[in-house]
Amino acid sequence: MQSGLAVKATRVGIVVALFAIWEMLSRTGIVNPRLLPSASDTLVTLGDLLQRASVQKDLAVTATEVVTAFALAVPVGALIGFLIAENKYFSDVVKPLLFFAFSIPKSIFLPMFILMFGVGFAQKVGFGFFSTIFIVIMSTTTAVESVKVEHLTVARSYGATPMQTAFRVYLPSMLPVLLEALRISMIFNLTGVILAEMYASRDGIGHQIATWGENFQMKQLLAGVLMVAAIAIAFNELVRWVETRCSHWRT
Amino acid sequence: MQPLANITPLKPAGAIEVRNVGQIFEMKTQTVVALEDVSLDIKPGRFVVLVGPSGCGKSTLLMMMAGLREQTSGTITISGVPIPKPDPNRVGVVFQEASLFPWLTAEENVEFPLALRGVPKSDRRAKAQDALKLVGLDGFGKRHPHELSGGMKQRVSIARGLVQDPPVLLMDEPFAALDEQTRMTMGDELLRIWAATGKTVVFVTHSLTEAVYLADEVIVMSPRPGRIVDHLQVTLPRPRTYEMLSGDAFGVLRDRIWRHIRKSA
Amino acid sequence: MSAATVRRLIVIVLIALWEILPRAGVIPTLFLPSLSSTLIAGWNEAGEYGHALAVTLYEVAISMVFACGGGILLGAIVGSLPRPRVLIMPMVSSLYAVPLVILYPVFTVWLGIGTESKIAFASIYGFLPTMLATAAGIQTIDPQLLLAARSMGATLSQRLIRVIIPAAIPTVLSGLRVGGALVIVGVVVSEMLISSAGIGYLISRYRTILDSPHVFAGVLLVLAMAIAFNAAIKWIERKAAIWQTGSRAGQRAADEITAGAVQPAT
Repeated sequence: MQSGLAVKATRVGIVVALFAIWEMLSRTGIVNPRLLPSASDTLVTLGDLLQRASVQKDLAVTATEVVTAFALAVPVGALIGFLIAENKYFSDVVKPLLFFAFSIPKSIFLPMFILMFGVGFAQKVGFGFFSTIFIVIMSTTTAVESVKVEHLTVARSYGATPMQTAFRVYLPSMLPVLLEALRISMIFNLTGVILAEMYASRDGIGHQIATWGENFQMKQLLAGVLMVAAIAIAFNELVRWVETRCSHWRT
Repeated sequence: MQPLANITPLKPAGAIEVRNVGQIFEMKTQTVVALEDVSLDIKPGRFVVLVGPSGCGKSTLLMMMAGLREQTSGTITISGVPIPKPDPNRVGVVFQEASLFPWLTAEENVEFPLALRGVPKSDRRAKAQDALKLVGLDGFGKRHPHELSGGMKQRVSIARGLVQDPPVLLMDEPFAALDEQTRMTMGDELLRIWAATGKTVVFVTHSLTEAVYLADEVIVMSPRPGRIVDHLQVTLPRPRTYEMLSGDAFGVLRDRIWRHIRKSA
Repeated sequence: MSAATVRRLIVIVLIALWEILPRAGVIPTLFLPSLSSTLIAGWNEAGEYGHALAVTLYEVAISMVFACGGGILLGAIVGSLPRPRVLIMPMVSSLYAVPLVILYPVFTVWLGIGTESKIAFASIYGFLPTMLATAAGIQTIDPQLLLAARSMGATLSQRLIRVIIPAAIPTVLSGLRVGGALVIVGVVVSEMLISSAGIGYLISRYRTILDSPHVFAGVLLVLAMAIAFNAAIKWIERKAAIWQTGSRAGQRAADEITAGAVQPAT
């Protein structure tokens, strides 16, 4: 435990040191402060931005898009994933195609979504959905396949009903894998939505960041980057924390 | 008159001497005594088996004889000379799972220790062929490990341990990962190779049957702290046969070992 | 019918539909121009696309050196030293959760909208997963192999050259695959966002004038590039097949990586 604490302290130390170097580079003028505003200035700007109504609205827009795309992609992807994992023939037919679809870059299809939906909510959610669905399908398949046959046999030999098998064998064995899938899908989803916003959009935090960049507003730009990064890392750590909580299920 | 210190020890090749060896692991929260005051004499050409429950230090002791680990106290000599680091001219080692390099063929694996020493290619190949022939793998030299069965892989490992013709062969649970039938066959094969080469063999195992079947002498060890609790002479005639397994003499020896192990478990 | 036949049929039907549906007017050609009109559009502007491809490939090649070279080197160091590994790896994987696209505007401010900002962005984009993959793979080297080499009297440098490097090859290859794919994405995305040359730029420019056949011709070109890269890596992996089949641990790591534990985000 003690060493765990030391490791955490060192990590915080590294982050603090990075911010200190950033502050120093800018303050001493080694790097032009116009190009790299100091860390403290950026953090102050971040505080201001968070209180601005327009930024709050942008965050709300992005959040709505992310949640909508996620809420659509996860059930649909999970359903397809289940079907693939449960049916051998279907899986033989479709899996290589999915692997192929998974390996090609999704971002080049972004213009297609604009041509189809125009610029707006539907295009961004559509692209978010598109960037997420393949990883959800793949992860669900992996999750179902991770259920041990022995466990199912034991459940069946003691006369478990299909419902009981689902809740007492499938769910507990799949939970850790599903959580991991959730985490990775969210990374893909967030990246998809933000890219769509940066590419062509009238609102959302991605759009705002792109605009600050075009106008050379470095303070706002860096503050925006920190904001998105902090949100993404916070979500990631939250899921990982839950994952370690249930890790004892997997052996 | 020659001063005594200059006389080289009169120990013949292949003798192993373990004197008051101790091993202590300093952990963060506690100190673990892995071995305590272990002494042992193994004469050249003997087949000695170390048995005992997990954590009795038998593998640790073997690693020390191989020069792969340093003891906290005491001395170990092989052919009369201490072994502070691995010396493949004196000791060959065969490990638990086939620790063969997957990217090399069987014969390249056997040549590996020679290649480390810069032995010319043709000499290497010839020696590897001889070693493979000895373990009964003539003609399998060009195969990669994944093309060999578990038993064949361990034969390659034995060939690799013998290729430099060391007087001592140390084996750390070499057949543990094999199925029962293969295990019995490999035991007979090993005895044949041992009889043909006259090496000193030190063999670590969990299996009591394997221990009695193979050994001239069985050393029983117990854990916490690791030490020797019994030293049996197996006087069964050679060659050993499967019929002996059900005989009284065999059963008596196996029961005696089992009583020690049950006590310490 | 065998699974492979059905699969081939599906692919043929999809390609046929791509041609038939827009022609029949079921799908507006603005959304999806027919395959033939896309290919003709690409062929007519072959010179322009060729030039753009050259620009993009140049950026991809340089970024790949930075991303894969740096990622493999740093991953090997971090993966083989236990202390930095415990300290840094979790930090790197949290960083991986950040949508790195948001950094691109920062690079355009610093480096302009030319090739430099694209190379910088794509290098960083490909770097993290390559490093994660390599570090994970180095850890999977079987300690028994190192112990065996030591028992045969191998020196430190002999262990490095004859054991660690060969054992790490599958990992390095999978790192190369993940990193390389991401570098291609990084370059094309940055060209699509802000730039004045390259295939991504062409796609975006034709998109703003609603010239769908030319947009799709560009998309096809990028797809071809990604597929060619994948095929090249697969070819190398087959050449090194003994390594792959040999080290089960390394193979497992490579599987995990392809299964999405470390994968191209968009």
